Amino acid sequence: MGEWDNSRMHDPAYMAERIASCEAEIAKGIVGQREIIRQVLLAMLTGGNVLLEGMPGLGKTMLVSTIGKVFDLSFKRIQFTPDLMPSDVTGTNIIIKNEKGSAFSFEQGPIFAHLILADEINRATPKTQSALLEAMQEHTVTVGNESHTLAEPFFVLATQNPIENEGTYPLPEAQLDRFMFKILVRFPSKEDLKNIVALTEGSQAPVIEKQMDGAGLLAARTLVNQIPIADAVLDYLLDLVMETHAANPHIQEGASPRAAQALIRASRAKAFLEGRFNVSFQDVSQMAYPVLRHRIIPSFDAISEGISEDDIIQEILAAKKT
Amino acid sequence: MEQKEFLKTIQAYRRRLNLAAFIKYSVFALSVAVAAGILIQAAALLIPLYYVNFYTLFTLLSGEFAAITVWILRRISLKQAALTMDSFGFAERIVTAYENLPQKGILVEMQRKDAMRQLRAHKDKIRIALLPSWKKLVLLLGLSAALTGLGLTPSAQKENAKEQHQLKAEAKEKVQEITEAVDSLVELGKKAEEITPEQQAALQQMIESLQSSLAEYQQAQSTEMMKAAESKLNYKYENISSDLYNMAQNLPSNASQMLTEEALQYMESMQQAAQQIQELNGSELAQGIPFSNGFNGKINQGDTAQGNNSGQNSGNDAAGSGASSSGGQNSGNGQSQDGGTGQGDSAGQGGETNQGDGTSQGDGTNQNGGTGQGSDSGDNGYNGQGQDNGEGSGGGRGTGSTNAEHDYVSVPNRIAEGSNLAGNTLNHEDSTYFRAQSGISWEGEHISHEAVIGSYKENAYEGIAAGKYPSGMEEIIKEYFASF
Repeated sequence: MGEWDNSRMHDPAYMAERIASCEAEIAKGIVGQREIIRQVLLAMLTGGNVLLEGMPGLGKTMLVSTIGKVFDLSFKRIQFTPDLMPSDVTGTNIIIKNEKGSAFSFEQGPIFAHLILADEINRATPKTQSALLEAMQEHTVTVGNESHTLAEPFFVLATQNPIENEGTYPLPEAQLDRFMFKILVRFPSKEDLKNIVALTEGSQAPVIEKQMDGAGLLAARTLVNQIPIADAVLDYLLDLVMETHAANPHIQEGASPRAAQALIRASRAKAFLEGRFNVSFQDVSQMAYPVLRHRIIPSFDAISEGISEDDIIQEILAAKKT
Repeated sequence: MEQKEFLKTIQAYRRRLNLAAFIKYSVFALSVAVAAGILIQAAALLIPLYYVNFYTLFTLLSGEFAAITVWILRRISLKQAALTMDSFGFAERIVTAYENLPQKGILVEMQRKDAMRQLRAHKDKIRIALLPSWKKLVLLLGLSAALTGLGLTPSAQKENAKEQHQLKAEAKEKVQEITEAVDSLVELGKKAEEITPEQQAALQQMIESLQSSLAEYQQAQSTEMMKAAESKLNYKYENISSDLYNMAQNLPSNASQMLTEEALQYMESMQQAAQQIQELNGSELAQGIPFSNGFNGKINQGDTAQGNNSGQNSGNDAAGSGASSSGGQNSGNGQSQDGGTGQGDSAGQGGETNQGDGTSQGDGTNQNGGTGQGSDSGDNGYNGQGQDNGEGSGGGRGTGSTNAEHDYVSVPNRIAEGSNLAGNTLNHEDSTYFRAQSGISWEGEHISHEAVIGSYKENAYEGIAAGKYPSGMEEIIKEYFASF
């Protein structure tokens, strides 16, 4: 596809093609993980944030940096540790000397970027976590008495290590709800691993080209929000969310109304990405997993039986088959 | 594809979907109904069910009616039709476009165009089967064949049911008939002033007797019981009609010498009741006593009519002494009662029949109606309308042969020969004797054989009614007496 033409930002067909090309371009830099790339892109189209759960070394940093190149957006990585302070994330006021004497000057923290990779967010203290979560929700940072607006588009990709539980501060459910998706990153297959090695240890790294800019991404978000959804599909979507509150022995707590909003946006984004201008039943059922898995609290019975959130979602989808 | 064409396409598929739904519901409902029908038909093989085919048909119709009702309630809308069309790989494009037809906006219009384009390109993907699966159709056909087979299978219970139904129908008719007869008798009983207390008691007995027959019919469960009840009833009818007629004849003796209008009317009512009951029996009175629409004056059993001096014999047998000699008209019926003698040289002496032309020529030649085949108006010459003054002006015209020949009665111990004999001498009912108005004219004292046989018969029938005879003998006894 040719160069980005920002004069055609309001052409849905052009934008749909452009987003598809972005996906393809990202895939050049990240071997395998096509589904992860797609879901991250969908989250960006909805204006939401993503929580990635996976082992270290699966290319999460590479992913975000590649996305930054494709969309020509600034990228920052924050490694969360237990001693990380909120000001380390948001920035702080420092005293500077000028002609008039001393004065406070706000020094922006790493969060002042378009794309943020918050690595191992569960290692930081709740206070530090809340600083990031405020930025995710409000797109502003408050330091002292001043609020500083973050640049748009603003996207946070947080990661969690599933095996390190000692010395960690698991995000509470209320905070988890702020993430649009929770994506599980699996270990790649041997074939994918071979390709990863070939790519990263090869002589020439792939060249990632810009496909769109931030304004284009924002325009794409506007178009995604206008995609129509039929009554029958909407009913199906709402039934899925309601079913998480039905008498189910495997669910302790069901999804909040935010889940329904997230599911609608995600389904629209998926339809847009596929070049369709309407939401289908399949869009809803496929987006149910990343939207609902971190919003359902499994019961003790489910945990003891080894039933995961994905298993519960699968049960719900089977019960509400279209 | 324009919007109208788009809508028409959806409407066409909607019609097809509705038709397929109707067939599906009908097949299901009929399968259930046929299965129920099979149960009903199977039950009819074990228990008598006369209306089994009606029940089966009702079940089938109910099933189809239920199917139609459900179909109407669940009719498919255009939106549902669009959704069904989408299930053939259109990813809800059609239903989204249909819902947003009135909407405007760049994305909505693009979506609509996309839907129409996809529908035009892949319309052949939409396949809506009209008929249900072949297994269901085979099941329905199989059940229908089983139902038809069961329906056509004869069985003892089916025959039993027919018989029971016929019995009930017959019993119902008879009950109605008996009820009417009882009502007639009750009406007669209301006019107590015209009859004696003994006659009243007799009427009451008649009523009770008929009511017991009514109860027998209502309780009849088998052909044998019906036949027994019928035979008893016929016997009762015969007796009652005869008794009523006799009672009617005796009425003038209860009243004053001259009959009042009311008494005459009452007499007529009684005779009509007797006739009605006799007709129920399906035969004429055994005594052969004719019915009269009226009387020429008094009618006494066996009495000779005393004609008035005017020469008009108003009496029964025109006992020639006064009346006939003058050549006056014997208007009388010349009814010869039992034991009555039609004496007289001529007129009105029809021998047996005195066929009522009643006119006698002065010279005494009998202008008889011959065999007494009177016209209806003067049925056997009966209809002399009696008036108080004894003028028998009755029509009594016998239209038979004008030969002044006498009919001879056939008696068991006498066999008469002659061409003027009519009827079978051994046939009690066809014998002209029973149609006679006047008695037989021969010398000596005679007792009619009906009196003798009738007496025996009455005893025998009473014995049958009382169950004196072994079962199976009843018919034989009746046949014996019927042969007279």
